[in-house]
Amino acid sequence: MTQPTEKTPVVEMRGIKKHFGAVQALRGVDLTLHQNEVLGLMGDNAAGKSTLMKVLSGAYSPDGGEILINGQNSSFANPMDARRKGIEMVYQDYALSNNLDVSANVFMGREAVRYKMGPFSVLDYPHMEQETRNLMNRLKIRLPSVRQKVERLSGGQRQAVAIARATAFDAHVIIMDEPTAALSVAAIDKVLELIHELKAQGAAIIIISHRLEDIYRVGDRLIVLRHGRKVRDTDVQGDIHEFRESVVAYMIGARDDFAEEAKV
Amino acid sequence: MATQATQDVQQASSPSSLGKLFRENIRDYGMFIALIVIWLFFTFSTDGLFISSRNMVNLINQTGYIAVLAVGMTLVIVIRHIDLSVGFLAGFLGAVAAILMVDYNLPFYVVIPMVLFFGVLAGLLTSFMVANLGIPAFVATLAGWLGYRGLLQLVTRATGTIIIPDDNFNAIGNSFIPDIPGTELLPDLHLLTMILGLAAIIIYIISQLLSLRRAQTQDVDTTSRGMSILKIVVVSALIFSSAWLMASYQGLSWTAVVVLIVAFGYHFMTTKTVLGRHIYAVGGNPEAAELSGISVKHITHVVFGSMGMLSALAGILFAARLQSATTTAGTLFELDAIAAAFVGGVSAAGGVGTVIGSLVGALVMTSLTSGMNLMGIDISYQYIVRALVLAAAVIFDVATRRTS
Repeated sequence: MTQPTEKTPVVEMRGIKKHFGAVQALRGVDLTLHQNEVLGLMGDNAAGKSTLMKVLSGAYSPDGGEILINGQNSSFANPMDARRKGIEMVYQDYALSNNLDVSANVFMGREAVRYKMGPFSVLDYPHMEQETRNLMNRLKIRLPSVRQKVERLSGGQRQAVAIARATAFDAHVIIMDEPTAALSVAAIDKVLELIHELKAQGAAIIIISHRLEDIYRVGDRLIVLRHGRKVRDTDVQGDIHEFRESVVAYMIGARDDFAEEAKV
Repeated sequence: MATQATQDVQQASSPSSLGKLFRENIRDYGMFIALIVIWLFFTFSTDGLFISSRNMVNLINQTGYIAVLAVGMTLVIVIRHIDLSVGFLAGFLGAVAAILMVDYNLPFYVVIPMVLFFGVLAGLLTSFMVANLGIPAFVATLAGWLGYRGLLQLVTRATGTIIIPDDNFNAIGNSFIPDIPGTELLPDLHLLTMILGLAAIIIYIISQLLSLRRAQTQDVDTTSRGMSILKIVVVSALIFSSAWLMASYQGLSWTAVVVLIVAFGYHFMTTKTVLGRHIYAVGGNPEAAELSGISVKHITHVVFGSMGMLSALAGILFAARLQSATTTAGTLFELDAIAAAFVGGVSAAGGVGTVIGSLVGALVMTSLTSGMNLMGIDISYQYIVRALVLAAAVIFDVATRRTS
């Protein structure tokens, strides 16, 4: 709803193209994301939404187009590279190690080191646990203990940990792939509240979702993809039923805002 | 949200949590309890012969090479692989050590590092096949099993059993640490062993109290504090009685020293270092680990490299114990090590298992053999009993896991 036009977008993707063999997965997609904005990304299966986000998070390199992060032209060699530049992705299957505790998962791959002993780096448990506790408090996520193994948490708590983990290291942009899939109604509420909280704290968020209700509740703007093209880019507003009908029309190809551009 | 969240917290500490507490702790300490039960049983059924100093020292020296293999195997299984080649690799490298000492007249302090290095190379060869070529570890190490068996027969073909003449080398498998000379205090006891035992108890208690105090100041549930104190008392008593048993015989054996160093080193590595954390992260969810910037390949090389080194160490311990390298050394060690790891609580699904657990698992398995031998039980029944214990341990593990 708020579009600070005078500020440079956090993310600007221009004309992104990607093909796999003969399949053209992305045919020149534009996407902008502003500070403090929650952007929904919808589309039927194989519309290209996951591919687009994998390009943004460094898992795929695009065949064409450019990516600007805070106005600067960027390219990512791999997901770690994108992460270092402040782009975090929360994967659909949580991407947590269930056998480890909450704090170990939050710090996975970025462990705090107390001191080095030859080739061995000794873990700084108190620091990591305290930081995890602070993080959970900041995001208002309530867990029995940060030493709880992830396998003992509920689905909603796990998703919360996965999201918190993505925000732990000064991320500019958080991409969430189906954050509410396979969750109970109560857990979905908690995850959506968490997204609200993140937005309130200034994060820019992209949500891939099949659930239009979720986008309607937390989203500011929505992009619909179809066959590798953007067909709709709109603010989230109005009555939910009308909103749903219009989005579905775009998803199934009955309407297309960018048909003219595509022909050029 | 706030009320819901507090409800969640309350649920976690509701009355049913007593049962949960029991289940969680029986998982952690079940192996220790099983070991104590087995020892008590054999002590009574052999009129104390089992618990005699001499038998216990023998037991520890017998467990040595399996324990060392089980420690390495734990990490291999944690990262969801298996290594069948370790038995014959140990046998082959034991023979290599013997040949280096007999034919090349190299001293033991040159031979041991060399052989350990060869072990690392062998481990890296396995991990190259597993991590770089994508061959399942079962197949790659089955090839190793065949190959090292062949190599062992090849290098011992001309000579048959190679007698090792180096007393220092053989001491690793047969001798004891020297005592402090010239003391009149407690003449019947090996004084240095007692001092080391007491030092171990003091260090253990201090480290446990420190971590308890840290837990107290933080949000950890205090219900498990009683359990922790009980654990401190039981473990201290165990260390004291083991030290006493060994001190009243000939003291701490060199094999025990080697096993303790390996156990302590690997326990430290797995629980306190970034490398250990990464090994368990890879075991729990390889995709997540890779996405977090942990190189699964690198971890695979490290784990198999360490397995190779420990295989070499097991080969050295075994050869030193027999004071010779035989043509069949290492036969079935790999399965004993795997059994010890599973009895010690390692999960085949990956990500779960501790070094100390596997060590206790190895002790349980050799205690069964030793105790049943003393009782004069037929070898056929011995295998069946060990089969039942292995199956029971894994069933117990699966059952306690499911309730969580």
